[in-house]
Amino acid sequence: MVQVVYIAHDGEQTELNVQEGWTLMQAAVSNGVDGIEAECGGACCCATCHIYVDDQFLEKIPAALAQEEGMLNEVVAERTQNSRLACQIKVSNALDGIIVRTPEAQS
Amino acid sequence: MSKFPLYSNEFDANPFPFYKDLQENAPCFWSDDAQKWVLTRYDDIVNALNDWQTYSSAQGNLVDEFPGRAGNTLGSMDPPKHDELRAVIQSVFAKRNLTHLEEPIKATTKRIIDNNIGNKKHFDFAKDFSSEITFDVLATLLGLPDTNKEEACANALMMVQTDIKTRQKGPEHLAAFQWVKDYASNVIAERAKNLGDDAISQLITAEVNGVKLDLIQVELTVTTLIMAGIESLSGFLKMFAKNMANYPEQRAKILADMSLLPDAIEESFRFNTSAQRFRRCLTKDVTLHGQTMKAGDFVILAYGAGNRDPRKYENPDEYDVLRKAKGHLGLGGSVHLCLGNAIARLAVKAAMEVFLTEIPHFSQAEADDELEWLASSNFRSPKKLVFIRE
Repeated sequence: MVQVVYIAHDGEQTELNVQEGWTLMQAAVSNGVDGIEAECGGACCCATCHIYVDDQFLEKIPAALAQEEGMLNEVVAERTQNSRLACQIKVSNALDGIIVRTPEAQS
Repeated sequence: MSKFPLYSNEFDANPFPFYKDLQENAPCFWSDDAQKWVLTRYDDIVNALNDWQTYSSAQGNLVDEFPGRAGNTLGSMDPPKHDELRAVIQSVFAKRNLTHLEEPIKATTKRIIDNNIGNKKHFDFAKDFSSEITFDVLATLLGLPDTNKEEACANALMMVQTDIKTRQKGPEHLAAFQWVKDYASNVIAERAKNLGDDAISQLITAEVNGVKLDLIQVELTVTTLIMAGIESLSGFLKMFAKNMANYPEQRAKILADMSLLPDAIEESFRFNTSAQRFRRCLTKDVTLHGQTMKAGDFVILAYGAGNRDPRKYENPDEYDVLRKAKGHLGLGGSVHLCLGNAIARLAVKAAMEVFLTEIPHFSQAEADDELEWLASSNFRSPKKLVFIRE
């Protein structure tokens, strides 16, 4: 299990122990983490699981592929260099303790 | 007595005691009735949904599948093909692109209540209300003609059912499937001459990796959208209204504060979603709870059971509109999460807000075991749902 910390826009913090291989979106949705909508269920086509990945973990995550890059242009909250889609980030031991923040709005 | 009598009115009337027995005593259960495995625990179902490589949809997702359908619809494809096709039409169903529909749905709802229910003391929520609203929403979304409305609804409802004796699709179900498919083909042919920005136009013009979709894929995807649009939305509306009738103390909370409607809708998706069961096919052997399921075996994911798993939800058999039900399986999950989840939520909220304002007090005329339930191995909703206005 890998520890993941989600911090909502209002500062509320949720810590989850996530199975390796699951995505940050899957873990958030099945555990009812607010702030991630994931309308398309992880097919990378709705831009409603936008997260800001904490600086110290950004480089440990494989770079976004073209489809995710395209969808990141569609997010409704501000896109920053920390912006990623939670459905495209698979949890692995290398990400243990990862901190991600959810934006003010997803849709 | 079968532990999972999938093809019986008794099971449709109340599947929850059966689910509970399996959850506790046989969480990975081989059903002789269905000739499939059945998973009923929340965690097992979510694992299966997330692990689409092992639990494949490509052999069909309907518990009793139509010949030739598997592989040609969104729900019966695996990624990456699935994701590419879903990306083509997702935007039509995105919440941010649907908000303009709320007021028209409310206006339609008011008109339907005035025309079909008026001051009637007894009315059939299915016939007088939910099927009409549903067709209207779908027609707007897909740009369907207003003709053949009743036939389209009747056939969509027939095609999702199964012969309870042969446990397969009977001639009447196959004929209904063919009718909806022909109806879809005609709409597609007409639309191709006059493209717009609706979902059908997007499917016709879509290119996946530079290649247009096969006509059969467009036809069967539109057929499924019509089936899902008419049956699933109408089925869920019925179940939501049924909860409102059956739990007056919960209804009172909503009447006092309509802003609770979205939470009540989520709780209904959890408590008794109409989309009770879907299937997957194993691509490799899996051992679970001491049972070994073989590659090629079919597995039923009983969403309706997972939603009542006490390991996931406290007091799962209690209908509580203040619960804030999260992570439920009432719309499926993972990449096959219902394409229409946003329109379903929006349409049910808009329609029920008007309905509850116009008709705040009502009860169900017949007990659940007296109702005739849709003979479907996937969906659960009554064919007829008579309410008595109080």
